[in-house]
Amino acid sequence: MAMTRTERALFEVGGPKARRRIVIGTVISAILLALLLAWVIYRFYEKGQLDYRYWYFFTQGNVIAFLGAGLIGTMRAALGAGAIALVMGMLLMLCRTSSIRPLSWLAATITEFLRGTPTLLFIYFLFLVPAQFGIHMSTYWMVVIPTSAYASAVLAEVYRAGVAAVPSGQKEAGISLGLTSSQNFRYIVMPQMLRIVTPTLVAQLVVVVKDTTFGYVVTYPELMVNAKVVIANFSSLVPVYLVVAIIYVLINYAISRFANWLSHRNSIDILV
Amino acid sequence: MGADLIHLLNTYGTQFLSSYWVSLRIALIAFAGGFLLGTLLTVARVSPIPPLRGAVNVFVETFRNAPVLCVLIFIVYALPDLGIVIDYEPSVIIALVLVSSAFACDNLRTGINTIDAGQIEAARALGMGFSSIVGSIVLPQAFRSVIQPMVTLFISVVISSSAGSLVPLAHKELTGLVADINNHEAMGMVTFLIASLLYVFTGLIIAFFGRKVERRLAIWR
Repeated sequence: MAMTRTERALFEVGGPKARRRIVIGTVISAILLALLLAWVIYRFYEKGQLDYRYWYFFTQGNVIAFLGAGLIGTMRAALGAGAIALVMGMLLMLCRTSSIRPLSWLAATITEFLRGTPTLLFIYFLFLVPAQFGIHMSTYWMVVIPTSAYASAVLAEVYRAGVAAVPSGQKEAGISLGLTSSQNFRYIVMPQMLRIVTPTLVAQLVVVVKDTTFGYVVTYPELMVNAKVVIANFSSLVPVYLVVAIIYVLINYAISRFANWLSHRNSIDILV
Repeated sequence: MGADLIHLLNTYGTQFLSSYWVSLRIALIAFAGGFLLGTLLTVARVSPIPPLRGAVNVFVETFRNAPVLCVLIFIVYALPDLGIVIDYEPSVIIALVLVSSAFACDNLRTGINTIDAGQIEAARALGMGFSSIVGSIVLPQAFRSVIQPMVTLFISVVISSSAGSLVPLAHKELTGLVADINNHEAMGMVTFLIASLLYVFTGLIIAFFGRKVERRLAIWR
């Protein structure tokens, strides 16, 4: 990651004594980190976790296909929840900023409520309560509804911040041209707001992908659940969970980098 | 409905309170640990020692992007195969510490970058070394400029403590308790509402006090 001016100032190289200390520090920390890594690998070896029988199946077509199916399950849930959240978040924001007071209060309450409730609690709710009334729901929706509910509330706040970030001169110019407030929003504010929030929307996809792991609770066939099945078949806990964790990290890292790239390219900050 | 509510409160009222406390306890310890570890990581991340900076970057990118569930499941179910057995509640706390420290480190880094490089150059001109620059000039200002993101992080740790419901805790936290009640009771719907409101109000209260602290301490630039 590139250093900023403040960070560069912190490392400005000093005199010969300071330089020597930095070299010593570098050598010692490099040795310690190498030792740590060696200890981890030895631990794996000692406990037999590097054995062929715990790893060979990763090259088998059916295992790869099964984990791949899990990954597709994750993507389906994440994209479904993301798409719903894009729309619902916009609706919540529009209601919240509307001039009809009760509507705006209602939207604010719903937003706070969804944002403050754990997704997991909502998933247990859909898993356990509708069944008590004889309603059957697919596990896909048990994951997607709570995930998108939380994301909708977050995106409503993101959109609101985006609207606030459009220079007020733009809105005033629209009004002075005689546009109605809805025309003003549609033609002046909205296009600029969407540009401002795009990197943040992408960054929020990371949260959605993470939340789909709660499919584990309702056994919706996503990556974590399929990993569990592979583990049951090959009794290989450490390697499978490690590989799956790395897959999640890589996916989310790629999404974050893409969001950062969008943000740098258009010089737009990522809103929180 | 009213009779059901009374029945639920009679049967589970005290359990609710104690589970709420377990959630708060997990969140408080995890946030404190995450904050501390995040600070240490930040110091290492801005230190003049390249291997440390690199290691911290890998750590932060890993735990910022790993789902809490993944980390927790790994600690609880995979680590025993490596000869490391940790009790359930500490496992939840460790998972949350790892993840929140990555976010705390990122917040602090943003905070550090609000400080003008001139201040550091001035400190260096006065003959101060790295540790005294970081300890008495950089960190105090960085802390004060990241109060709001840290408060947000604390609220999300409280919410994420619900991951405790994924493992059989000796003392169930709020989400786990509600799921448990609904495995026995047919009319447990209201328990979800109560739990949800507890989370929401906890978040609002933390945000309220966070704003107070911020008004007192923040540096407005």
